[in-house]
Amino acid sequence: MSGWPDGRKDTVSKNRMDDTLAVIVILFVTFGMVMLYSTSAYNGEVKFGDAGYYFKKQLLATALGLFVMYVVSNIDYHYWEKLALPAYILSMVLSALVLAVGDSYNGSKRWLSLGPLSFQPAEFAKVAVILFLAWYISNNKKKIKSILSLFKVILLVLPIVGLVGTNNLSTAIIILGIAVTLVFVASPSYKQFGALALLGGGFVGIFLSVEQYRLERLLIWRNPEKYEKGYQTLQGLYAIGSGGLFGTGFGNSMQKLGFVPEAQNDMIFSIICEELGLVGAGLLLLLFLLMLWRFLIAAHRSTDLFGALIAAGILAHIAIQVILNVAVVTNTIPNTGITLPFISYGGTSVLFLLAEMGLALNVSRSVKK
Amino acid sequence: MSGRTVLLDGGWCEIVMQKNKTFHKKKIFVVFIIVLAVLVVLLCRLVFLMIFCSEYYGTKAKDLHQRERDIKAARGEILDRNGEILATNRSVCTISVIHNQIKEPEKVIEALAKELQMDQETIRKKVEKYSSIEIIKKNVDKEIGDAIRKYELEGIKIDEDYKRYYPYNDLASKVLGFTGGDNQGIIGLEVKYDKYLSGKSGKILTLTDARGVEIDAAVEERQEPENGYNLQTTIDRNIQEYVEQAAKKVLEKKSADSVSILVMNPQNGELLAMVNTPEFNLNDPYTLTDVTPGAVLSDKEKQDRLNRMWRNQCINDTYEPGSTFKIITTAAGLEEKVVSLEDNFSCPGFKIVDDRRIKCHKVSGHGAETFTQAVMNSCNPVFIEVGLRLGVSNFYRYFQQFQLLSKTNIDLPGEASTIMHKEENIGQVELATISFGQSFQITPIQLATTVSSLINGGTRVTPHFGKNIQDADGKIIEELAFSSKENIISKETSETLRYVLEQVVAEGTGHKAYIPGFHVGGKTATSQTLPRSANRYIASFLGFAPADNPQVLVLVIINNPQGIYYGGTIAAPVAQEIFENILPYLGIELRYTQEEIDEMKEEN
Repeated sequence: MSGWPDGRKDTVSKNRMDDTLAVIVILFVTFGMVMLYSTSAYNGEVKFGDAGYYFKKQLLATALGLFVMYVVSNIDYHYWEKLALPAYILSMVLSALVLAVGDSYNGSKRWLSLGPLSFQPAEFAKVAVILFLAWYISNNKKKIKSILSLFKVILLVLPIVGLVGTNNLSTAIIILGIAVTLVFVASPSYKQFGALALLGGGFVGIFLSVEQYRLERLLIWRNPEKYEKGYQTLQGLYAIGSGGLFGTGFGNSMQKLGFVPEAQNDMIFSIICEELGLVGAGLLLLLFLLMLWRFLIAAHRSTDLFGALIAAGILAHIAIQVILNVAVVTNTIPNTGITLPFISYGGTSVLFLLAEMGLALNVSRSVKK
Repeated sequence: MSGRTVLLDGGWCEIVMQKNKTFHKKKIFVVFIIVLAVLVVLLCRLVFLMIFCSEYYGTKAKDLHQRERDIKAARGEILDRNGEILATNRSVCTISVIHNQIKEPEKVIEALAKELQMDQETIRKKVEKYSSIEIIKKNVDKEIGDAIRKYELEGIKIDEDYKRYYPYNDLASKVLGFTGGDNQGIIGLEVKYDKYLSGKSGKILTLTDARGVEIDAAVEERQEPENGYNLQTTIDRNIQEYVEQAAKKVLEKKSADSVSILVMNPQNGELLAMVNTPEFNLNDPYTLTDVTPGAVLSDKEKQDRLNRMWRNQCINDTYEPGSTFKIITTAAGLEEKVVSLEDNFSCPGFKIVDDRRIKCHKVSGHGAETFTQAVMNSCNPVFIEVGLRLGVSNFYRYFQQFQLLSKTNIDLPGEASTIMHKEENIGQVELATISFGQSFQITPIQLATTVSSLINGGTRVTPHFGKNIQDADGKIIEELAFSSKENIISKETSETLRYVLEQVVAEGTGHKAYIPGFHVGGKTATSQTLPRSANRYIASFLGFAPADNPQVLVLVIINNPQGIYYGGTIAAPVAQEIFENILPYLGIELRYTQEEIDEMKEEN
């Protein structure tokens, strides 16, 4: 069952890519850039004396990302099959490297520097895991039936989860989430996943209680007004609450003026709520949902499991990140640093997100005539 | 390669390759549905936060963003009865620093230390303290504020402000009182009328970023202050000033501890002057006047001394009135008809009550005398007799009828109560001593008010300083009204009382207060303070004029005079001097009696 029938490549190249998805991506990139400038101008001015500091860096990464997206969307995704394992190994090497010689920012060791360029291996790891698992599962499809084989797949990603999770719990959770989603999609069974969900819950519980600071986060979550460390959460809530139904108007956020720390990062959604109100925030979530729908369509239309799993992985990736980000910002769950895809500041993040979009777009082409 | 036709929820039909099986698609769809469900939950959370908690968080956020600066309301002025300003405001500055805006801390510290003449270290602490705004100094003269402004240093905030200013420094200090740093009254009229005077402070609300830097584009919200109302008092600045001089003169001449003089209108209780020498400077109320330079006082000691310095002895302190109280005994005796002016008495120089022998001040005795003569002589045995004739319950009833035992309710804080024996504890000896003004204590204002009420035809008045409340343009907002009670004594008794008291001044112990043509009535007193062994005296005189229709009442109290201490000798002349000057000033005409005209003819 391995390998592809000849002539399929032609079929793929003749299909048009999903225009709707492309438009959504462009919308996100544009909206993200505008929102990023709005939220980061104050911090840029205060910290670097340049209101456009963050914007320019993001613009560069986005331009590069759009180029990468274009290129990737034109490369048949089967090309990546043979690179899936090496990419996965490379991501582990890089993640290990970051632990040894990484740069710290805001107390987290997450960056690898190469001259003036810095790079977050964790962002690369997400794409690598999607590709790796899509490749592994589609090539071992027969085996993905028993519960044991499901655990085997999860075990395969545990090294990278561990490496990344050492100082970036949030990304580790996302990677784990992607893995679970892909295994879920690959297996015909439903029952096993009830047990798996329980197990996952237990795992997260253990993970949380291993370190004191994670338990502390729970206390802050319950009552952010009582703890000094609840400051960021509380400021986010102030911003969201200030927004009301229609918001204070674009550019009029008060909370971005240093009240919400690093407003252009994880908390950017709170500023969107403040400026654009419930209506704006709702529309943004709707746009995300639309994007996820396009991934669903791409997965459904994909002629082979590899493509379907790539689309499903990307769907899982974006969904988990959006859900966790919004949940954190609205203090629905304890605080953990997760960025909002396409909107939050982060060069590596936007670069690999756009690369993923290229992948998704290419998968959307693989519709059979 | 085998294909199948699948009907999915979307309703489209297509041929699917074997590898991407239907269950995969279903499962991806399940994933999507789960995501959708979670997003809906989050949207509900957003609705909760942004609609139902919007006001709560919005208000909190606004509190955080807004910096509130008070705009002080100008405190109302205090005026005398002729509209002269006794208390007003001066423009001053409050100098503060905003930590986040300071760019050149060293220059700021240097400039502030130089201009404000403050210690550099004190300023440095405040400049380097991380806070949104730190006050360096309040009540800085406007000129100094302007000088600091010229440095054009960022981070220094100069807010214009008002400070209470008393143009006459120590004039009526214990009556007017002064205000604290926040412009609230501390003592005197400033406290009593604070609610009218203080006004309502306004606010400037500015938006700032997290560093406290004001946002230029943001619109300032401004709540205008409401200035306080002016208080017009019954004080006459000229009389107050003159009386203060007279008090000071006798204080120095007699080396007395203190001199209290009050001048009131007995008809309505308006106080024209109230002096308690030594006064203190209202513009510098925290400097002790009686402290030897270089003396070191503990904080508590200093506070005690300040409290003593601020005391208004006319109101806050009680004393044994002595013979001036005989006016009240006379009034009660006449009203109860236990004595008449023509009644004959004989004074052997003492009177035995129970087993006690109570001396008259004239040890050899006044001999045979009518009651009128007894009042003129201030003869103790006669007043003891009158007191005994009245009896305890009658006397006590009159005290209550005259409202002598309660407070006068003067519009100044801290009035002391009368200290009087309980009715059931008054025996014959106590009754005898009360009759001539001993063994109990009252405040000077109570004595003056009670006598006023007895001589004005029997209307109990409320002594007061407040006349009306005005706005800044002088428009009267509220006339201040004070209660009064008529017929506490009959008109006839009141008239008789005035007559007999005029005789006291015309030919009796109060003669030194006599002024031809002004019909001064009055009564002297010399009382010994407790303990008697200390040989400390209070010389006093209570006078009023004109006796047939009293317009002004003066009470002079000299506390612990050295040398001669008789009220008739040292207090009466002070009253005479005051009457001589203020009666013409108040427009009271000279009306000589036939005898006075004859006398003057003889002198010529």
